[in-house]
Amino acid sequence: MVKAGEAVKASVVSLTCCAGCVSSFLAAGDALLEILSGDFDVIYSPTFIDLKEIPTVDLAIVEGGVRTKEDERFIREVRAKSKILVALGICATHGGVTSLGNRLSLKRILEKEYSLADSSKLPELEDLMRPICDFVDVDYYIPGCPPMPFLIVHSLKSMVSGKKPVRHETVVCTECHRKIVPAKLDRLYGIYEKETDPQLCLVSQGFMCLGSLTREGCGAPCPRAGFTCFGCRGPPDSLMYRSRDMYSFLVQVISKRTSIPEEKVKEELYRNPFVFHTFIFSKFERFKARERVI
Amino acid sequence: MSLKKEVTISPTTRIEGHGKVTLTLDDSGNVSDAHFYATEIRGFDYFLRGMEAERLPFIISRICGVCSTAHIMASVKAIESVYEAEITETANKLRELLLMGQVISNHSLVFFFLILPDFWFSAEEDPSKRNAFQIMRENPEVGKKAMALRSFAARILEIVGKREVHIVSVIPGGLINPLKERERESLSRIADNAVEIAKDALNLGKELFDKSWAEFRKVGDYRTCYMALTKDDAAGFYDGDVRVINSEGEVLSEFKPQSYMDHVEQKSLGWTYAKFAYLKLLGWPKGIVQAGPTARMNVNRKVSSEYAGKELEEFKRKFGSPAHATLLSDYARLIDLLYACERAKELLEDETLTREDTRVKVRPKNGRGIGVVEAPRGTLVHDYVLSRNGKLKQMKLVIPTQINNAAININLKDAASEFIRNGEIKQGLLNRIEMVIRAYDPCIKCAARKADENLRVEILSSRGELIKIL
Repeated sequence: MVKAGEAVKASVVSLTCCAGCVSSFLAAGDALLEILSGDFDVIYSPTFIDLKEIPTVDLAIVEGGVRTKEDERFIREVRAKSKILVALGICATHGGVTSLGNRLSLKRILEKEYSLADSSKLPELEDLMRPICDFVDVDYYIPGCPPMPFLIVHSLKSMVSGKKPVRHETVVCTECHRKIVPAKLDRLYGIYEKETDPQLCLVSQGFMCLGSLTREGCGAPCPRAGFTCFGCRGPPDSLMYRSRDMYSFLVQVISKRTSIPEEKVKEELYRNPFVFHTFIFSKFERFKARERVI
Repeated sequence: MSLKKEVTISPTTRIEGHGKVTLTLDDSGNVSDAHFYATEIRGFDYFLRGMEAERLPFIISRICGVCSTAHIMASVKAIESVYEAEITETANKLRELLLMGQVISNHSLVFFFLILPDFWFSAEEDPSKRNAFQIMRENPEVGKKAMALRSFAARILEIVGKREVHIVSVIPGGLINPLKERERESLSRIADNAVEIAKDALNLGKELFDKSWAEFRKVGDYRTCYMALTKDDAAGFYDGDVRVINSEGEVLSEFKPQSYMDHVEQKSLGWTYAKFAYLKLLGWPKGIVQAGPTARMNVNRKVSSEYAGKELEEFKRKFGSPAHATLLSDYARLIDLLYACERAKELLEDETLTREDTRVKVRPKNGRGIGVVEAPRGTLVHDYVLSRNGKLKQMKLVIPTQINNAAININLKDAASEFIRNGEIKQGLLNRIEMVIRAYDPCIKCAARKADENLRVEILSSRGELIKIL
């Protein structure tokens, strides 16, 4: 733990990602200015600071997952040189959207698409996009794509003052204002097939909202706006056991709220296999491994 | 024994993402070649094949968290062009407002956090101090201004887009819900202040720029063609036709976004994952073209807002049209920023912005469609082929950094030649090279859907032995 009262030395680093998490951090406005002008000193960040060597810090904030050998070497060094390591965003915590690429062999594609005459200067690609916890010990995970600015700032504030950050254990539905009223529907709908009712639960309206299997803490901005939750914060505590199957759980929730028989819900989900894996694919699927099964 | 050497810079700092540069020296120790590397691939172009068109815009925005809104706009436009959907006036205005939020968010980040330290501190300043956090410590007012602009953009994206980063409200057919009157009022109230701050930023930029201009004008004065969107002869971000001018300023071609791919070709050069875009008409390498802030100033005769319009006149008076010096992008970007604030303010004052007709019903179809917008770094193109059951069959993206890729490499060579003569490497090489890259504000994360890069200077002998790390 960081001692209260002393300036906290922090680093902000990016692995393979879209830089959205750091953008979100920088969208925190006055709250950010407050921690930056207080006891929080960012001393290393290739995006903002010219220092080229990784220093020893109290707190390392890491966005992105591991896609290359270079990423792996980098995250191990960052871990060795930090007291607290925070995985910021779903790429760092679960592999993120980029891990959808795990179902293809990128190497094979590259050989086909680019006839690389000289690839000696390019770092070697790993077979899979992986979350950083596959390589190093992580002290705090802040999933989200990206985590909301207030969530990042509140969590960092707690860490800086030596307190444990508030955990968000249950599901997005607890933060959504919509009323769950069991409906009688005959099929599911795509998000732009029909307009949404402003008060009624999106699942009850036949939309495939993932709020019921996604961790809270974001404030439910998407379902509140009428856009289905797409699961960017990953599973809640209750679904982090292997024995609790997310798929069956979702089938039950949809069936209960729409009166569509479970068999039919399964059929519709089957046509849309990546619906609840968009952000956490690398934690659940190993297509590469499947290719090796005899 | 050959004296041929190579200089590597990795990682580049203060650019979005990581980059790597190698400079090759010839027998007499002068720069013979410069390469800016794309060293990693995420494969968006491949793994999204088969994805439902409905889910494309919000997933594709994950290519880049810095310019996610621009990607979403290009994506829904491409899908709507396949579906032949005409969206409402209200939806168009709200989308343009979101894109202005995107430009303000990006340009204020680039100016205050990435570029400003180069102008603020002397080249001899301790590298660990040459950063935005240090400026904020020394001058909290500057920090407040940076945050005020970032917050204005974040509020637009949060209120209209429903999230600050990776917005969700924009869907094929329009926007998922209308803007409420009280939301319009609350945004409108902070817009005035944003315009004032953007003026301050521009003045600060000009003041610092004027001091160093004599030195900067030497950096990369490479003449190329330029490309940008144009609408009624003024700079546009959200819509318009694509106009291309040659290095003399003559219009080479002007075409509808739908025919973009007939005019632009891409090639792979065999040593990097990033492809190079060029004009079909002129071929490679004559058809090397640049996009981005300077290109927008060069291609268009005017900017349709009051203050930015005057600034553009001044810019053209000072530097001519077309203007070529690479570091002018840092100046032109501030005119963009002021325009975006003024345009956002104008849109927010329009009371019809809160009309409820933000959405039309779309009917999925198969076919090909192209969506084009001006992203902060230049013209962004999404080209999709959708199948009959509404899934993505094929996707081609032309990212501004791919358009600028060739010019970046050429300018790097010029800049490096000034600092490396007969095997002697002068002080300041590292920062000058990084300034050239920064001027292009390369979206490595976008190129990094295909590429990600890293910068550190290594000097290698022709046999690949490491001689020195800078």
